[in-house]
Amino acid sequence: MLLLKKLHKWLSLLVGLQLLVWLGTGLYFNLMDHQKASGNQYKQTPVVAQVDINRLVEPQLVLSQSKQVVSLKQISLLEHPYYLLTHNKGLYSHFDNDYSLVDAYTAEPVVIDETMVRKLAQSSYNGKGVIKNAVKLSPPYEDIPREQNEVWQVNYADYIQTSVYIDAGSGRIIKHSNDDKRFVDIFFMLHFMDYGTEGSFNNVQIILFSLFTLFFSLTGFIWTIELLFNGQYKVRFGNKSRTLALFDKDLELIGEFDLATNTNLLDGLIDHDIALSSTCGGGGTCGQCKVRLDSSVKVTSAEHVLLTKEQLQQGYRLACQHDATETKRLTLIDVTKAKKYLLELTHSEFISPYIKELRFKVLGGEKLKFKAGAHLRFYIPPAKGISIPARLPDAFKYHWRDIEYFEYEHQACSRSYSLANGDGQIEAGTNELKFTVKIQNAPNKSIYPGVGSSYICNLGLGQTIEAAGPFEDFHAKPSSNKTMMLIGAGSGMAPLKSLIEEQLCFYQKERKETRGIYFFYGARTEEDLLYKDELYRLSRKYPNFFYYPVLSRPHKNWSGAKGYVQDLLTSNINKICQIDGVEFYLCGPPNMMSATINLLKTKNVDATNIAFDEFI
Amino acid sequence: MKTLKVSRKLHRWLMLFLGLQFLIWSISGAYMVIFDIDYIHGDSLVVNHQAKVNVDEITYPLSALAKQYPDAKNIAVEVFIEQAVYRFTEHDEKYVVNASNGEKISPLNKVVAISAAKHYYSGDGAVLESELITDNPPFELSRRALPAWRVNFDDFGSPSIYVSAQTGKLVSKRHEFWRIFDLMFSLHVMDYEEEDPSNKLLFWFTLFSIFAAITGGVLSYFVIFKNRAKNTLDKSMGVAR
Repeated sequence: MLLLKKLHKWLSLLVGLQLLVWLGTGLYFNLMDHQKASGNQYKQTPVVAQVDINRLVEPQLVLSQSKQVVSLKQISLLEHPYYLLTHNKGLYSHFDNDYSLVDAYTAEPVVIDETMVRKLAQSSYNGKGVIKNAVKLSPPYEDIPREQNEVWQVNYADYIQTSVYIDAGSGRIIKHSNDDKRFVDIFFMLHFMDYGTEGSFNNVQIILFSLFTLFFSLTGFIWTIELLFNGQYKVRFGNKSRTLALFDKDLELIGEFDLATNTNLLDGLIDHDIALSSTCGGGGTCGQCKVRLDSSVKVTSAEHVLLTKEQLQQGYRLACQHDATETKRLTLIDVTKAKKYLLELTHSEFISPYIKELRFKVLGGEKLKFKAGAHLRFYIPPAKGISIPARLPDAFKYHWRDIEYFEYEHQACSRSYSLANGDGQIEAGTNELKFTVKIQNAPNKSIYPGVGSSYICNLGLGQTIEAAGPFEDFHAKPSSNKTMMLIGAGSGMAPLKSLIEEQLCFYQKERKETRGIYFFYGARTEEDLLYKDELYRLSRKYPNFFYYPVLSRPHKNWSGAKGYVQDLLTSNINKICQIDGVEFYLCGPPNMMSATINLLKTKNVDATNIAFDEFI
Repeated sequence: MKTLKVSRKLHRWLMLFLGLQFLIWSISGAYMVIFDIDYIHGDSLVVNHQAKVNVDEITYPLSALAKQYPDAKNIAVEVFIEQAVYRFTEHDEKYVVNASNGEKISPLNKVVAISAAKHYYSGDGAVLESELITDNPPFELSRRALPAWRVNFDDFGSPSIYVSAQTGKLVSKRHEFWRIFDLMFSLHVMDYEEEDPSNKLLFWFTLFSIFAAITGGVLSYFVIFKNRAKNTLDKSMGVAR
């Protein structure tokens, strides 16, 4: 089902525009004036000759003097009888035919010349225009693309540019065309994707598109059926609401909330400032808005894909798939009393050329409790931004020398940043929230710099910003004596350092058995090594903590490891420990993450032992 | 986010009602473009005979014919199953007359009709059945072609060859692929009787479908481009998600 939805999404990109073209031109065909579209506005049937049968030349005589024929036929042109001799007969008149003409009264051969063509055209035309010109043409023709014989084109000087097409061999009026018809032909060309104007709808491009479209509507159709069977179509009248008992993840009652029944739980919770994670916005594809409901609540196919069997049995569901009528209790699992706070910036300092440490005070004096690795969602207001941060220390100006300075405006958005608090602050709750944020710069005006990171890194001390949380997607597993291996790079430092400090602090307090903690941290140069003094100090203080900085572009006198952190890990992982009993915690840029996850997979590390803070 | 949600809701609801027609449009459209139109027309079912009129066979002159049929119009000399014949119209009736002896061949009897059909038919299948249709033509035959003999052959695609009972000419050739095409066309234009694309049902369906497609486009834009832009931005930003 997930594959089907993915297919539908990508096919929409492929065929979407053509589908609109089909629908648009289809609507045009539905509404168009068929008389105009025929091109026959000034067409009339020519007057037929009154034939005196006794004056007709014996066909036998004609045939004995002519090339062999498939058919001899008395026809009427300009109110006079002729014999049309067909020497070679196409299956249809527009297929290749070989004709000659003979006067049916005198047996004189007749050649259709321009004078005759002009008269023939006039006999079929009842408009007021005069003939502009008459030209003999060879196929192909734009107005009559399927015609394969030579034709005369007689053009009229009327307001719709009528052209009369006459078969050069037989004098037959093939067709009238005019600007109205040519206009309609454009729509047919678009509808049939007939860009080569073959006059057919059997071209390669339309066959390909029709197949893609078939898959597109099939996947959409199945999706709709699936939604229908899962009760995703509900008609609700009015703004009714229902009271649900809300619990936090420790099963403590948060309170009773009235949730609207005409919307799903994800949207309903937002009304109470409870924002669950969701990148798909309620489409049932990202799987982030997990909650626990009564276990009797129906399981949708999205949940079958995104949640495990055990989770489903325990009542885990996706909030976007259900509404308040389906359950009485709702347990928030990613959230412990996550709510909106107003934060005031108290400290803002560059700790590497591109990374700042920011500290905020929670206004209202509340203390936040959270697990190490948690993040907050910041609500960035619409504002003007600048491409190079203000108050850049002289020491780091060198690193920004290639960045063009410009201003830009951005809209409101939300961005999540991991909390970097550690060192015993978080267990007791803290009023001061710490972040390390990397400013995503843009080399020139063609793209904006990171809107969120630029905004909060340029906040002045004392300025405030709204944020919701804490969200605890990424956190340490219940304490055990398993070895912990943390792998990170760049600003992935924040949640990892927070985790390390939490664990070391716990270790110190409890004095339990020693648990090995290894931290591999990748950066470019020495300047990019965040908190290195602090981490070295910790590794000296705690015999079970090991810090391995890895630099990809170190200065000459660097004595530590060189390269990318994932490469170092590849060559050393077996030396460090027995890989079986290790918990892995990953946070960093996508390349590092995917390479590391792949490495761990090849080493047969169980997926449940890998936790990663993914940047999606 | 609001636009995304509204679009998703509209797209879902509209497609609940339109989805089947979208499927029908794509199935019928695909059928019509994939099968070559000449094949659909049955061009491969018949032989385009090029037998020439043998002048020596015309021993019954036009002057004799003119006496027999003084009001004959649109006279033609052609070949009907290897025999030179006159074809003409008199008083809205069409005739075929043997050009050697002036014998009237039309209206075709069953034996002649079947041999004509066999002559036109390009396949090897045996004749299954034949019938003379004088009124109420089947949907695959134009009223103007009446009266006509329908000769069915036992072959792939159940071909039918229609021979005019008055002129002996091939008036139509049909097989299952044409019949399905015809059905597909009426499904495509949502007119199940007259196959006219200007019907009201099609109008409303198309109008709502355009709207549904636009909401779908908005969805794709948000889900693919917006999210991607956001993702790549966030990814390069480090810890943000």
